Amino acid sequence: MNPDRTLPWDWYPGRIPENVSLDETAYVETSFSFHFFRSRLPLGVEIGRGASTYLGTMFDIGPKGRVKLGNFTLVHGARIICDAEVTIGDCALISWNVVLMDTWRLPRAARDRRAELELVPTRRPRLATGDNTLARPIRIERNVWVGFDCCVLPGVTIGEGSVVGARSVVIEDVPPFTVVAGNPACVIRRLDPQTRTHDA
Amino acid sequence: MNEPFGQSVALPPNVRIGPNTLITGDLAFKRFHSRRDTALIVGSNCTMDGVHFAFGEQGSARIGDFCYFTNAVLLCELELRIGNYVVIGWNTTIADSDFHPLAPAERIADAIACSPLGRGRPRPEIPRKPVVIEDDVWVGPNATILKGVHIGSGAWIEPGALVTRDVPPGARVMGNPAQVMGEVE
Repeated sequence: MNPDRTLPWDWYPGRIPENVSLDETAYVETSFSFHFFRSRLPLGVEIGRGASTYLGTMFDIGPKGRVKLGNFTLVHGARIICDAEVTIGDCALISWNVVLMDTWRLPRAARDRRAELELVPTRRPRLATGDNTLARPIRIERNVWVGFDCCVLPGVTIGEGSVVGARSVVIEDVPPFTVVAGNPACVIRRLDPQTRTHDA
Repeated sequence: MNEPFGQSVALPPNVRIGPNTLITGDLAFKRFHSRRDTALIVGSNCTMDGVHFAFGEQGSARIGDFCYFTNAVLLCELELRIGNYVVIGWNTTIADSDFHPLAPAERIADAIACSPLGRGRPRPEIPRKPVVIEDDVWVGPNATILKGVHIGSGAWIEPGALVTRDVPPGARVMGNPAQVMGEVE
């Protein structure tokens, strides 16, 4: 990152916001990922050592949202919708078109939703911000792999070393070292934490 | 901070939008090929960011007021009718056509007709059926809605659902294919 918080390789004329901490060894492909970033916390996003985010990754983060990407974590085009907290542990792999949402942003009851939708056009920027108190943090622990097109819904914790199959919708917690898949995601099998083909 | 929303993109001549409706995203009309006189009518106070209006030559759509779409792909070869206060989430796809025929031999002919060498070759007739989404429907991220589907008012389409059949008003559906799980509380 340049001293003025632009990225030397960036195609987009943006900057990394002041309240984003980017390790000097981390790689963020484009500042466009922060197009929807609105966190007002002192530390809105923390990107660890050797972590990387590629094109398509969007930090759609509300004023009280906080996101942490662990060391060596790879986020390859996920949309992170965060009004509370999304934590991703070390060495996690998050694939294309994944949606990690800790908030629904809009009320479930149609009458309340109408009231919120009538406010959207009056806002700058024009976004549904909903009731942030309903947001429930997401925790993705270290060494988790989330496949293409998955959705991870509010309040979910995915335990260490687990794998989520492509196109799954994760609506409840996933225990550590477990393979889940499907819509909604169900346990497919357990993984042996000790099995490894080569040492990290 | 970056400014997430600015001015509406330039609209094709056969698109009409109501007051205070904002359509943003460079790709909004990149694949808009409709030749209808009024191909797309969007009501007032809608917010549509990153939406792809991928319309064929005969596609036409009408969208109501106070709708809120983010990063959706609307594939329209015939007709989409979307009511008021409809929310469509991230990466959702809605299509009123299958775009290619089911029969294998026809599909080969279609693949050739669609190829760079296929200029002018006729394509087989592809079944198309309008998609109707009534008022107050919420469609979650990564959902897919296929041709001919009619979604009743106030229905809630859970994230990742693949909707192949009609959804009754007020129902909550999820899964692949989407099943009714109950009613919206």
